[in-house]
Amino acid sequence: MRRITVAAELADHYDIAIIGAGPAGMSAAVEASLAGATVLVVDENTAPGGQIYRAVTRHSRGHDDVLGADYWKGASIADPFMAATIDFASSTTVWSLDPAEEPSAHATIGLTLAGSARRVEARAVILATGAMERPMPVPGWTLPGVMTAGAAQIALKSIAAIPEGPTVLAGCGPLLYLLASQLLKAGADITAVLDTADAGQRLRALPHLPAFLGSPYFAKGLRLLVDVRRQTRVISGITDLAIDGDAHAQSVTFRRGRRSETLPVRTVLLHQGVIPSINLASSADCAIRWNEHQRAFQPEIDHLGRLSVPGLFAAGDGAGIGGADHAAVEGRIAALGALSDLGLITQGEAETRLAPLKQERRRYRRGRAFLDILYRPAQQFLSPPDDATIICRCEEVRAGQLRQVIELGVPGPNQLKTFIRCGMGPCQGRLCASTVTEMMAEQRGVSPAEIGTYRLRAPIKPVRLSELAALPQTEDAVFAVTGRRPEPSTNPKGPNL
Amino acid sequence: MTNNFDFAVVGGGLVGAAIGYGLAKRGLKVAMLDEGDVAKRASRGNFALVWVQSKGLGMPAYATWTRRSSDHWGTFARELEERVGFSMAYRRPGGFHLCLSQDELDRRAANINRLHNQGESEPYRIDVLDGDEIRRHLPEVGPEVVGGTYCALDGDVNSLKLFRALHEGFAVEGGHYRSGSLVQEIAGAQGGYALKTDEAVVHADRIVLAAGLDNVRLGKMIGLDVPVRPLRGQVIVTEKTEPFLDMPLSTVRQTDEGGVMIGDSQEEADDYRVMRPGINAVMADRAVRMFPRLANLNVVRTWSALRVYSRDGFPIYQESPTHPGAFVASCHSGVTLAAAHADLLAPLLAQGKLSSDLDAFSSRRFHVSATA
Repeated sequence: MRRITVAAELADHYDIAIIGAGPAGMSAAVEASLAGATVLVVDENTAPGGQIYRAVTRHSRGHDDVLGADYWKGASIADPFMAATIDFASSTTVWSLDPAEEPSAHATIGLTLAGSARRVEARAVILATGAMERPMPVPGWTLPGVMTAGAAQIALKSIAAIPEGPTVLAGCGPLLYLLASQLLKAGADITAVLDTADAGQRLRALPHLPAFLGSPYFAKGLRLLVDVRRQTRVISGITDLAIDGDAHAQSVTFRRGRRSETLPVRTVLLHQGVIPSINLASSADCAIRWNEHQRAFQPEIDHLGRLSVPGLFAAGDGAGIGGADHAAVEGRIAALGALSDLGLITQGEAETRLAPLKQERRRYRRGRAFLDILYRPAQQFLSPPDDATIICRCEEVRAGQLRQVIELGVPGPNQLKTFIRCGMGPCQGRLCASTVTEMMAEQRGVSPAEIGTYRLRAPIKPVRLSELAALPQTEDAVFAVTGRRPEPSTNPKGPNL
Repeated sequence: MTNNFDFAVVGGGLVGAAIGYGLAKRGLKVAMLDEGDVAKRASRGNFALVWVQSKGLGMPAYATWTRRSSDHWGTFARELEERVGFSMAYRRPGGFHLCLSQDELDRRAANINRLHNQGESEPYRIDVLDGDEIRRHLPEVGPEVVGGTYCALDGDVNSLKLFRALHEGFAVEGGHYRSGSLVQEIAGAQGGYALKTDEAVVHADRIVLAAGLDNVRLGKMIGLDVPVRPLRGQVIVTEKTEPFLDMPLSTVRQTDEGGVMIGDSQEEADDYRVMRPGINAVMADRAVRMFPRLANLNVVRTWSALRVYSRDGFPIYQESPTHPGAFVASCHSGVTLAAAHADLLAPLLAQGKLSSDLDAFSSRRFHVSATA
């Protein structure tokens, strides 16, 4: 692995660019480099691993008490990744992805590394951008002292930090219990785990239970639940969750059946499952589809991870939630798909190598529906009933304002965004998109599939204006802005590109 | 759901919504038929200027029309804001156009001169200033700016708030808005027109086509050739920053919310989903040279959108000669012209006849020149 630390060290062109160095991205990179492709891997973090195996190459293995054996599985993917013949740009933000405009051309990614922007071409791009937490908008969720379970896990993994004071975890899904277990082991003061899962979902998930019993996740999940219940108070069937406090979270109030209870807190960790990060795929105009089981939009991919736009692939949780082991297999599948499309391996060779991987993928997908349905968030946490709840944190748009504009008959989330600025802030809608779709679907009585979601434009992550200004200017581009072709000597950016 | 209207406005962008609002507040029963959520929608991509300087070179009637809209904008804005209960941040402090080379300034000055020579019913002043004069008015302007032009009639607005206000104003006045209603067919019926959408057939005594680039297709259904084409423009928007610019420039403006908009390019292209990174680089570079303080701001969004450009760049307003009571309204600059559309054009449409001072905007001008 060659570590890229400044933008100038990047090649202009790679066979395969991989965005994200979690299990899917690392596995894809290893597979692609073995076939002799020139590979660039880009990741926002300082080290490979993604969210699940964050900092796995940095910790000494003695740490495994807290994080568990599953975390250390990451090392078996990270080790070959570190040894592979690839370029790895860490601490690098990808802010644009422009697909090839014609079949013979290449895709281009715009990225920023060490303060400089750069555009890099690739014949194929694999999006391994992983998942993000589904926003959980409840009254008070914007108060200091409230964060997502994922954020708390990042702190735990990267700097072994545990939340301050009495802590309440609230929400639903496997990660909530995983984090509870990890934090308890690390010595956090967890007062309670408030499970907001819709009890009705248990019945709906039942038909999928037999398949789940055969899943590698079954025993693991059961152990986790028992472990957490043994150590702290777990309260299920929570409704009407609200966080109160003046300048900081001070208490959590919730209802269970007819009883209401308030707990004093210093920290509240919210989590209601993860959903695919689709911003890059969406900004490249890839087809997006609604996954009703997972209650989220995901990019459309074929059996090799090809997106609807030629030259682009997706693998791992960014293409549909399946977990880390599943992601690692998908990464290899997408790499083989790309290698074969680029003619770097023969189709026959690809098929031979794909067969066992596809079988493995099937195994990891087994029983997924059970988890998806069981942990589907309750409606009131998908579409907050209280008008005062903030939905768009960047622009401070509240639920009531949204409902009022939806009532005007706006055709969809994009016009809604135009009218009320919801989703126009620096987070580019990451923290409100799913809620907006849910609210609109609820108000209109239709499926979220019919509502759709924000169409995104670059930059999907902020980039400084001076960085954009330093990028190559073409003659046509100068003409389009000034109405004049640049004189060769006055073109400040050197050769025309 | 009622399907019989006095007027049907085809198009729910800034032009359609302004006309629809203007018709509805005059007591007509109006339907506004709009497309779905993802469409070309020039109205989501504009630069939000209410702009006078330099407009109308080649057609004095357009200079006058722009001026009338601009002069009426304050009244129009106040009335609309009263109806909807929020401010659109309209202002008319005058506006600048900056030049980064002597060549640019010379060309600009020559155009302004030609515009003056063309003659105006109500002449207005455009000052050509050198770099130091510009910096006296705008101290933050960088040293590379060699000069520019200033006109006291220019202003801007928060165009997204304008867009929403027009739709809310339309609703307040009892207008019927229908999205997802792309018009497939227009036929004469019962002394009026029947507009067929996927969902329904809408009957209206009179209709106006304000569907942007789709007016090409729709115009044929009422016997009109509407020669408009897309001219793509790109815009960059930065994060919010403290107020530093209290008047609009033709290519840089700070919104009431604090973000800085940077535009605008012109390119013959018809795909609104494509953006040229090179163009963004040129625009970013020029903006930083105009205002060095912008260099460290984060860009949060860029987009491209398609202007609706006629062959000569001027609007087309016309009644169909073969389909009485069927009108067409096609133009770019839907923000600047919103006041004219709501309060000058809509009353004429409501009466059923365009006045002779709008004759210059008939598409006949293209056919005359084609045969001459």
